[in-house]
Amino acid sequence: MVDGSMDGQMISNAFHHAYWGFPLSLYFWLVGGSAGSFVVSTLGWVFGVKKYKATAFFASNTAIAMLMIVPLLLITDLGKPFRFFHLLLLPSFSHFSAPMVWGALFILTYPIGMLFYSYFVYYKNERMARAFGIAAIVLALCTHWYTGVVMQLNPSRLPNHGSVAPILFLTGAYISGIGLLNILLWIRNKFIDAKRQVSDAILADMARLMLYGIVFDMFLLFNEFLQMTYGIAEEHTILYDVLLGPFIWPYLYIEIIWGLIIPLIILVIPKINRSLYWVLGASFMVTTGVFGMRVWWVMATQYFQGHY
Amino acid sequence: MSGRTYGYNGVPPSKGKKGAKRYAMAVDLRRCTGCNACTAACKTAYDVPLGDWRIWVMEAETGEFPKTKRHVMPRMCNQCDQPTCVRNCPTKATFKHPDGFVLQRYNRCIGCRTCMVACPYNARHLLTDYRRDKRNPRNVADKCDFCIVRVTRGLAPLCVTSCTGGAMIFGDINDPDSEVARTVAANKTFTLRPEQGNAPQVYYIGLNEPIADPEFAFHHRSDQLHDRYNTFKKNSELGEELAGNIIDTDTGFFGIVGQGVHNMINFIATAPAKFFRGLF
Repeated sequence: MVDGSMDGQMISNAFHHAYWGFPLSLYFWLVGGSAGSFVVSTLGWVFGVKKYKATAFFASNTAIAMLMIVPLLLITDLGKPFRFFHLLLLPSFSHFSAPMVWGALFILTYPIGMLFYSYFVYYKNERMARAFGIAAIVLALCTHWYTGVVMQLNPSRLPNHGSVAPILFLTGAYISGIGLLNILLWIRNKFIDAKRQVSDAILADMARLMLYGIVFDMFLLFNEFLQMTYGIAEEHTILYDVLLGPFIWPYLYIEIIWGLIIPLIILVIPKINRSLYWVLGASFMVTTGVFGMRVWWVMATQYFQGHY
Repeated sequence: MSGRTYGYNGVPPSKGKKGAKRYAMAVDLRRCTGCNACTAACKTAYDVPLGDWRIWVMEAETGEFPKTKRHVMPRMCNQCDQPTCVRNCPTKATFKHPDGFVLQRYNRCIGCRTCMVACPYNARHLLTDYRRDKRNPRNVADKCDFCIVRVTRGLAPLCVTSCTGGAMIFGDINDPDSEVARTVAANKTFTLRPEQGNAPQVYYIGLNEPIADPEFAFHHRSDQLHDRYNTFKKNSELGEELAGNIIDTDTGFFGIVGQGVHNMINFIATAPAKFFRGLF
């Protein structure tokens, strides 16, 4: 089939645009942060961990605020922004086999669930807060799960096309949400009276929750890494020539070293893992590190495919 | 007749629905001269914007001087039987015609570009604002449609008509007397990336692995092509708008962050224009 060896060169080919770029990476990061914040918010009112009750209202509102930016980004990124409603005309117009339609429904209903949850948390209605909290936490997970599925269901996008994709996304969401919430709670503490402040001990406890997520995320990434090293030719190329090539900064340095390994080290050292500024530093690293993951996740395969 | 295979993994051509037509194309690469007449005819007829192609010709060189060989291969939408673009399209803007065409409805398309991400063949593009006739659809996805407007009137697609070497053969593969059915039956044919499971309907004869392989395209770009790639990504109007083109000469920390910041600023700056043009 091959004339001689594979030596040779490509002389001429069409160039292809990258279809999705930084705005959508930012969108993935924001949805993740929102879902992660909301998970923390429900710990107190839904899962009965009393000490986190103080964070619930603020965390839920943070999740709502982050989710408010999402439609702006998504709709502006469309070629025809005023046609966004085509996604919502079920069942005649929109296509239910497309994960993007599921996402449109989730993004529409998830903030509504959170708004009700916030309302009942504010008025300390335990029963209703719990009911809406359960509904909203399911929607939060679904909202972020579908973003993973959107990337997963493209057979030619190899690191994305695997069943681990949505779980990786959810884990990233969980840790980046907690990280961001830690920083925001600390900033909030500067502006409110001492009685309503969230104690440093709770921030450290949240960092401990984040630590479990980091370990799980590293475990998943290690599995991805293993598969890519043993993978078919394209996976091999994606790992060594794309992720460890032009995308080495978002992938290796920002996500893995800055966003996972250093925070992991900080959070397992007993002397510093409950100290406020170390915790905040680790939180910042994790949050920014996950953004690096969103960048390579969206764009690395397009970089590879763009040459074909 | 014996020993013929379809695709690398021996997938037979789909017959589609019983009794229906199944339009397919065979490209005899032994006869293709790489003249780009198909590219020119298509680009002119369909007002394809600068930087986008419905059909294009890949060229590669193998061997060492003086024993070198030039390979050419026209690429277009493969009108797949299991099209991932159709499955992923959230608004049913793209669909599979019973006769085998994968078609695009511009009035439904929202320009989300999911189909472009889903396509393993890079066969889709977003129409820019820069079209000769402003009444033509803009900012929606577009693709090769096997010239359905010609085929339904009994004419062959433009690339087939214009092919100087007679390399492109088009017709109903379910009709055993058609030229395409006879060609596919008589020759060993290959499809592109059959492992993707899309069941492509463009059959190549004499396909050379180097040129059909995305790995080869990635690893063996000529220096000139590599420079042009960066220039294209840097200068293309649509690239700015889509905010995702990575210029691969500049991928250090400041390079990546710089490209991200630049793209986001541009994205925000062009946002109002996008909304206004979306009205029309």
